[in-house]
Amino acid sequence: VSDVRTPIATEGSFRIAGWGVAALLTAWVLGASAQSLPTADDLPDWSGAWTRSTGLFYESTPEQALEPPPADSPRRRPPYTPKFEAIYEQNLALIGADRFPDPISICGTPAGWPRMLALPDAYEFVIRPEQTWLLSENGPNTVRIYTDGRTHPAPEDLWPTYTGNNVGHWEKDELVFRSIGLKGVGSTILGRNGLVMSDKLETTTRIRLIAPDRLLVSVVLTDPEALTRPWPVAFTYTRLPPGSTVYDYACAENNRNPVTSDGRTLTLDRSGEVIDKLE
Amino acid sequence: MSSRDLIVHYSTVGVAVALIVGAAPRAAVAHHSTAMFEAEKRVTLIGTITDFQWTNPHAWIQVAVSGADGKSADWSFECGSPNTLSRQGWKPSTLKPGDPVTIVANLMKDGTNAGLMYTVTLADRRVLGPGAQTVAPSSAPARATVPVR
Repeated sequence: VSDVRTPIATEGSFRIAGWGVAALLTAWVLGASAQSLPTADDLPDWSGAWTRSTGLFYESTPEQALEPPPADSPRRRPPYTPKFEAIYEQNLALIGADRFPDPISICGTPAGWPRMLALPDAYEFVIRPEQTWLLSENGPNTVRIYTDGRTHPAPEDLWPTYTGNNVGHWEKDELVFRSIGLKGVGSTILGRNGLVMSDKLETTTRIRLIAPDRLLVSVVLTDPEALTRPWPVAFTYTRLPPGSTVYDYACAENNRNPVTSDGRTLTLDRSGEVIDKLE
Repeated sequence: MSSRDLIVHYSTVGVAVALIVGAAPRAAVAHHSTAMFEAEKRVTLIGTITDFQWTNPHAWIQVAVSGADGKSADWSFECGSPNTLSRQGWKPSTLKPGDPVTIVANLMKDGTNAGLMYTVTLADRRVLGPGAQTVAPSSAPARATVPVR
């Protein structure tokens, strides 16, 4: 890592500061949105295709994003409220029984925000002065971040969507944005590890290059229903060689793993017949 | 061998022999649960390619494997997406019907003739798959070539 100028918030610091920090972050993001637009020449070079180089949500602390831990290091749990700790425990039991439903197993369903940060395959980060698009090859996922000075819609004009409503601004070469209006448990998950958030989830995200071909995405999740305090996570992405191609991901093309209504994943043979030995 | 090791023989005619190797839970990428596969065991199967489906969300390898009774059985092996495979050095033409292959896979727990591909060894001894150390020149660092969720 060649550039670590801005300290990343750690889980420990949020444990102390708690929701007060989240409120300040939110006010900061909203307040800064009125500043003038950068020109295209002011923006950093995030061109090309990228691939994720860090792990899953519960193994992606800000520190781990910069110094990945050994593969056998213990996974951490989010600071869940009792209600969501119980949901998480239920999900772990479902995982053990192969009955934890993954929404993206239904072809065409987006992973949504912020899960789309933790997918396989390639990513693209397309930036323009007024808008940035985060694209995942393993889709469909297009996260649109508006940096044209707008604010979030009024509550009556906002409804939950997979990728939410994202408004932000540029601080020199760092994109900062707030995401609201997200679908929660029952529609999206953070991963097949059983982690979920509520539809009260809000995130504050900062994205910047920390080396010429390494991008750091730091996200603070706040969720008064699911979390007892803000939960910081971070991911890094490595730029693929120049000329790398990003392809279709048409999940319905030959999906030989349909999911039953009770969450069981089946396997089909090449003629489309179920080959599992169902009990 | 460790306590997790296992040897399975699928044939007495030398066509298909299975051998467990050390296993790890991150065998491949899937858009669905991989709970149907034996995460802790991998088996080696020898057979002949009958079809290679270069499709999303997963490529599939169909292999004819001779069983202990001498009869050929159709096996299905799930791979990553063509997008992932292409960055690991695969091409749609990598496998053709009639090609002899050796496949290491995490098989399905219920005994179905299917599994999650870990490596494929071709006739020319090239080894491909998430378990191979072969990384395409255009690929990202090693950790990113076996992405997980």
